[in-house]
Amino acid sequence: MNIKTILASGLTVGLLFATQGINFAHAFDKKSSITVVSREEGSGTRGAFVELFDIMGEIKGKKADLTTLDAQITNSTSVMMTTIAGDEYAIGYTSLGALNDSVKALKINNAEASVANIQKGLYPVSRPFNIVTLGEAQNAIAKDFIHFILSTEGQNIVSQAGYIPLNDTKPFQVAKVQGKAIVGGSSSVAPVMEKLAEAYKKINPQAEIELQVNDSTTGMMSTINKTYDIGLASRNLKNQEMEQGLKATVIATDGIAVIINKNNPVENLDTKQVKEIYLGNTLTWDQVSK
Amino acid sequence: MFSNALNEKIMRGVFFATACTSVLAVVLICFFLFSNGANALSEIGIFEFLFGTIWRPNIDVYGIFPMIIGSIYMTFGAILIGVPIGILTAIFMAFYCPSILYKPLKIATDILAGIPSVVYGFFGLIIIVPMIKDFGRFLGMGGNGNSLLTASILLGIMILPTIISVTESALRAVPKLYYEGSLALGATHEKTIFHVLIPAAKSGILASIVLGIGRAIGETMAVIMVAGNQARIPSDIFQGARTLTANVVIEMGYATGLHRDALIATGVVLFLFILVINAILAILNKRT
Repeated sequence: MNIKTILASGLTVGLLFATQGINFAHAFDKKSSITVVSREEGSGTRGAFVELFDIMGEIKGKKADLTTLDAQITNSTSVMMTTIAGDEYAIGYTSLGALNDSVKALKINNAEASVANIQKGLYPVSRPFNIVTLGEAQNAIAKDFIHFILSTEGQNIVSQAGYIPLNDTKPFQVAKVQGKAIVGGSSSVAPVMEKLAEAYKKINPQAEIELQVNDSTTGMMSTINKTYDIGLASRNLKNQEMEQGLKATVIATDGIAVIINKNNPVENLDTKQVKEIYLGNTLTWDQVSK
Repeated sequence: MFSNALNEKIMRGVFFATACTSVLAVVLICFFLFSNGANALSEIGIFEFLFGTIWRPNIDVYGIFPMIIGSIYMTFGAILIGVPIGILTAIFMAFYCPSILYKPLKIATDILAGIPSVVYGFFGLIIIVPMIKDFGRFLGMGGNGNSLLTASILLGIMILPTIISVTESALRAVPKLYYEGSLALGATHEKTIFHVLIPAAKSGILASIVLGIGRAIGETMAVIMVAGNQARIPSDIFQGARTLTANVVIEMGYATGLHRDALIATGVVLFLFILVINAILAILNKRT
């Protein structure tokens, strides 16, 4: 065979596969295996998810995250959503605030994932949004901004953004302070923080709030070394971080929605079923629905 | 103001200082990586770190063998896909291409080189992943498209511009005499190209492959988005895998303590891979 024949036949086979690849249509097959999608180790969302569903076990005497090693891992919300939207058999989770129409949120223990259900305690999966300061806030603007976040006005913004506000808040007392505060950390907390900063600047136009978005750990580290006046975390603080003088305040609660593809007929799972899926014990959809 | 001789000296100093910057950067990066990574290596144990197959940072078990395998598989896959296409394209551009087609082709490969990797990633996630998912299920292999195969195809495309441009210039550097001599001896155009010119440009073509390997093994963003990133050794090409680069990027933001050091040590391993690749490249360049 000469080179041209080899090339031509290779090309034909390739084209054949490509066209076939595009053309299959398929109905939802319950016997199909579940594609488990998870966030990366150490992510605030994953930490909360694993804790709330108790996807944990004991290894070497320590309680540990035992999410199946076969779970696909992503470090971004948008990849999570695209993966679930493109795969009929996938299951994943995301912040309630980030949920959109491209995927379906499951009911957990027959409770729909909504702000109202979390407040009533029916929907069991939620986590705190924290702001941290190194000791007490020194910067006058930072202090005043924190007062604003925790006030009735601030908490109204939190609830408008789709998160669960604090109870028993007091109206904001306008203090005449000026200056600048740098706020930074978790990308999950950042969207609501941006709205809070905007509203605060309307009330106190002389203040400047600079928001930097990265991740929870960077936020904590930068607060410890005084780059940030206020750090943002979408998880609870680690002991190591507390020991270095960080003080955390919960500013809101965020629900975590368990999401599946829209073509998946499953509507409801209970806590135990989700746990078994993420531990890798339940492998196919027909094991969790009739 | 100053005498010419003094000016000369000052400017010489300035040029020397700028020349030192890149060397200094390499030295600093080496120092940072090795000093930080050494801690993790000694605490975890070199053997357990390199050959451990379980990566569970929350219980302080750090084995990066699956990631080493993942990186090697994906790079190999990318080479399998990118090298034949790239070399044949370069041959076409150097010897067969009608001049009207040359310019668009050249521009297209240049643009391909300039597309940010996150754009490749989204392209892969939205176009290639669903195709591979359907293909895998058609073959009964399962998987959801975020797989070794997908990442290999994407990386194969990403290394094309490197391979095409280096190979093309290697082919063009072959003296015209070779071509004319071969024709004069009665060989056809094709025979000349495949049996005379390509062997003559061998080391340049090899260098393009090595550069491609370097690009593929260091690629991060695009791979993270399509590879699935499971930290375990994949058993077939429709399963996902995690590369060394992905391991660092995915977890670095949240890591503290030993976990962070282990990620830096992962960087050390990656750095060693790149050093080896560069050494191979230097040897190849010497031979030409």
